[in-house]
Parts: sequence; C-alpha cells; structure tokens
Amino acid sequence: MGNIAIRTVNLGKLFYLNQKKRGKLRETLEEKIRLSLKHLFTALSPDAKKNEKKHPFANKHIWALKNVSFEVKHGEAVGILGHNGAGKSVLLKILSQVTKPTEGYAEIHGRVGAMLEVGTGFHPELTGRENIYLSGAILGMTRREIKTKFDEIVEFSEIGDLLDMPIKYYSSGMQGRLAFAVAVHLEPEILLIDEVLAIEDISFKEKCLSKLKEIVREGRTVLFVSHNMDSLKTLCNRAILLERGKIVFDGDIKKAISKYLSGNPDAKL
Amino acid sequence: MVSKLNTPGQRYMYRIRNLPLTLIHPPKGLAPLELGKLWRYRDLLYLFVWRDIKVRYKQTFVGTAWALLQPLIACLVLTLFFGKLARISSGEVPYPIFAYTALVPWTYFVNALTHSSNSLIFNSTIITRVYFPRLIIPISAVATGLLDFAIALLILFGLMVFYGIIPTPALLTLPFFMLMSLATALGFGLWLAVLNVEYRDIKFILPFLTQIWLFATPVAYPSNLVPEKWRIIYGLNPMAGVVDGFRWAILGTNPPHIPLLIASITVVTILLIGGLFFFRYKEDTFADVV
Repeated sequence: MGNIAIRTVNLGKLFYLNQKKRGKLRETLEEKIRLSLKHLFTALSPDAKKNEKKHPFANKHIWALKNVSFEVKHGEAVGILGHNGAGKSVLLKILSQVTKPTEGYAEIHGRVGAMLEVGTGFHPELTGRENIYLSGAILGMTRREIKTKFDEIVEFSEIGDLLDMPIKYYSSGMQGRLAFAVAVHLEPEILLIDEVLAIEDISFKEKCLSKLKEIVREGRTVLFVSHNMDSLKTLCNRAILLERGKIVFDGDIKKAISKYLSGNPDAKL
Repeated sequence: MVSKLNTPGQRYMYRIRNLPLTLIHPPKGLAPLELGKLWRYRDLLYLFVWRDIKVRYKQTFVGTAWALLQPLIACLVLTLFFGKLARISSGEVPYPIFAYTALVPWTYFVNALTHSSNSLIFNSTIITRVYFPRLIIPISAVATGLLDFAIALLILFGLMVFYGIIPTPALLTLPFFMLMSLATALGFGLWLAVLNVEYRDIKFILPFLTQIWLFATPVAYPSNLVPEKWRIIYGLNPMAGVVDGFRWAILGTNPPHIPLLIASITVVTILLIGGLFFFRYKEDTFADVV
C-alpha cells in the first residue's frame, strides 16, 4: 500500500499524575504534605469512598491515549473530535514527534508540518520581518523557502507597514494573523493543525478557512483538531472521535459530529 | 485525491518523490547521536544564534559594550586586589594583561555555561510544541557567546600592542584553546541543561558553581603556584588547561604543563561525548517534563 500517509498501531501515552513533582526539591515535600492533607479531608467526609474514586489524582497514572489505531491516506482531510482531555492534542504531539508514545507505533510517509499553536517561537523584541524567518525555521522551513514565500506571507497577514516594528507593539490579533500566515505557507505533504482558527477577526477567519480548503484541494493530507464544527464540516469528510484517549468513532464527519454532540459529558452534570 | 496514486506511472512519481518514512515508537534507551540531522537543521541553528544575538542587548543602556565591560571590569578588580594588594606574581608580563588574557576565555566560558544550562527552560514553549533536534538549543546558546568572545579578543590584541607584546609562533595554537573552551562550556552545559529540566535547583547552583570555579582556575594567579605533583589533579578542571593555553598562546611565556593539559583535554572529551549521549537519552522526555 503506497498511498498510506499515516498509520498508527495501538498508540498509547501514559502520564503519571502522582509522579514526584518536578522542579524544586522543596516543592516535592510541600506537594506531599498538601496531598496527605487532602486525603485526610476526603477520608473524613461522609461519602469518603465515593470521593476517593472520583478524585482525579486517586489513580496514579492516566492513559491520555490508549490503543489508538487508524490509517489516513494521502490526500485525506480528517477531523479529530473530542472533549477537552480526550487526547486530541497528545495525538498530534506524538505524530509531530514532540513527545514519544508509551506504547504502539506510528508510521508517517512524508514530511510533517505541525501548526500546534500559532505563534510558537515568536520573540516580542524582534520585528515582524525577523519573526517570519524565525517562526518559519522553527516550523521546519529553510531560509531559502521562507525567502521565496516572504512576500506572500506578508500579503496574507495584512500587517502592512508594521512589518519592521517589534511585534511587542502589535495587537494580539495582528500577532495571530502574522503567525497564521507563516504556518499556512508550510509546504510538507502532511499537515497537523490544532485549533488554529481561534481567531476573533471574522473576515480573517474566512480567509484562513479558504486557505486551508485550498490546501486540502491540492491533495495534501490534513489532520485537523477543532472545536468549531462548521469549519470541520467544510474541511473534512471523515472524522475520528476520541473519548478518554480511545477512538469511539471513525467515519463520516456528520455522524461523528452528531455523536460528539450527543455524548457531551457536561450535559450529564 | 487518493486516486492520484492508482496508475503505475503515478506510483512511480510517488516513489521518486521519495517521501521519507518516519517511524514513531516508544523511547528505546540509548539513542544514536544523529549528528547528520543537526546538519539538516543548520538553518534553525543559525536563526537561534542570530535571535539570541539580536535580543541579548535589547533594552540595555550600553548595549554591545557589555561584551567589553564584563572582562575589563573584572580585569580592573583582579589587578587591584590580586596584582596590587596581594602582589600575586604574574612573571615578566604586567599583571593587567596577565589577568585579561585569562578573563577572555573565562568570561566566555561562564556566559556560555550559564546560557546553555538555562537554554532548555528558556525555550520550553518551543520544545513543547515543535519538533526539531533539541541539541540545537544548547549548541546555539554556546555559539551565541562567540560574538562577545571575538569582541573581547579584539581588545586583547589592542592590549598586546599597548604593552608591546610581540606574538610568538604559539599564537597559532589559539584556535585550539578557543575550541577547547567552547567544548568545556558545551560539555558541562549539556549535563546541566538536562538536569535543569527536572531540577530547577541548577538555576541556583550555577552562580555558586561559577564563583568557586573561578578560584579553581588560574585566572587571578599563575598555575605554577600549584605544586608540581598536584598539577594533574588541578588539570581535571578543564578551564585550567584552557587558561594556561591561552596565556601561552598570547603572551608566549610559560608553555602549559603537559600532564595538566592532557588531564584537561581528557576530561573535556569524556564530558562532551558523555553529555551528548546523556542529552539524547533524555531528549524524549523534555516535552513532557519541562
């Protein structure tokens, strides 16, 4: 099968919650005292047993991902759905090699570009021009690639005359536009996109969406994490629904969305 | 879209595009150094160095002059207290240039060590979001200091002219000792940077460490104050070898004590290679722990 872009097999990621607190040694001690006090209180309360079970740190570890297996073909655009803490971001972090899985493995055919958080690597003291180069290189572009795309990026970001001002003087909206403009000009075959459309400016948001659509139309592979159902629907045909680190649905985007909306745990509370 | 790859011709095109295959699997103990990968990311290394140089003296009053002031002020203090008051002998060369010659590599070393030790923490937001060989971070921290080093070296050449010191052929060994001070800073920096990710105690230990280290290094005094039989042990501090080498290369006076120099070179080599492997071994956990 030559047309597989991403294949994951039983991917799992374990996080230790009670792990000795990193950082200063004294914090480790403080943490211990605090936790034992907490345990004391939970033990004293009338429904102690219940509390113990519900206590999020009662388990020593948590599988942020467990037995996640799926395949994505070249040219597919797949949405990743799930509530906070379902494991969406961890999945993208594993696929972009920021963090390692605890078990299982993944194969990736092609270069990966990740837009995990817009503006990563921006430095406030540097100008917009300088930050385009810096952020582009951090996202995996060579200086030559950035140079050839420079004008396009500037035009897309609509920052105009501010290009040679330190970006600490930019509004947060402008910083977001510049960051998105850099990220969207990445060239790799596979793009991992995490919640980058959290942009307030509506007209710019439209522009970003249509740029992303263009990327999908070019036949590139896209994994797209978003809480925005409309943008998911316009970009993807397929979605993977994660719940507590496991895949609970993989298929048609509309079914996935309705399943996601019906299974809202917040509604139960 | 998928149908793009259905005909043999298209499959062929696909194959000659030669998409790289990346395998992602759980960490498996000791990892290869993958120095070739560093080369592929050289643009990023360059940009990190360039960023740190640009940013370093932003919003300071005297700016790049700090590169001159740091060793010069230290030189003044040493000359006053050790040269004039304690009357430490600097041999046939005047004490100020004797001290300044040592302060050039020493100041570089302390700055490079401090920056590389803190580098992973300073870049934590990038580490948790983007993948690239993490070794680039401490390496760029050590490389950034080279600009200050070069500026301080220019002043040193100026002082040589001022004091009428005529260079000897030993000057040709200067690049070697420059490289050695870089390797020492990186060697220690790699270990401390990794430990700093888990234990922020390093941040507090560093200032002490460098202060004590200064006394264990022949900056304010010549290394021949140390009895001959102790010189090998003294040389276990690689900066002793570096500073002695620098003095010899610039001032052309005492050649370094060979056993001391060999001890220093051995320690640097072991630390650097060990540090590289230790770093690679721990690299996979940075994003989860930092």
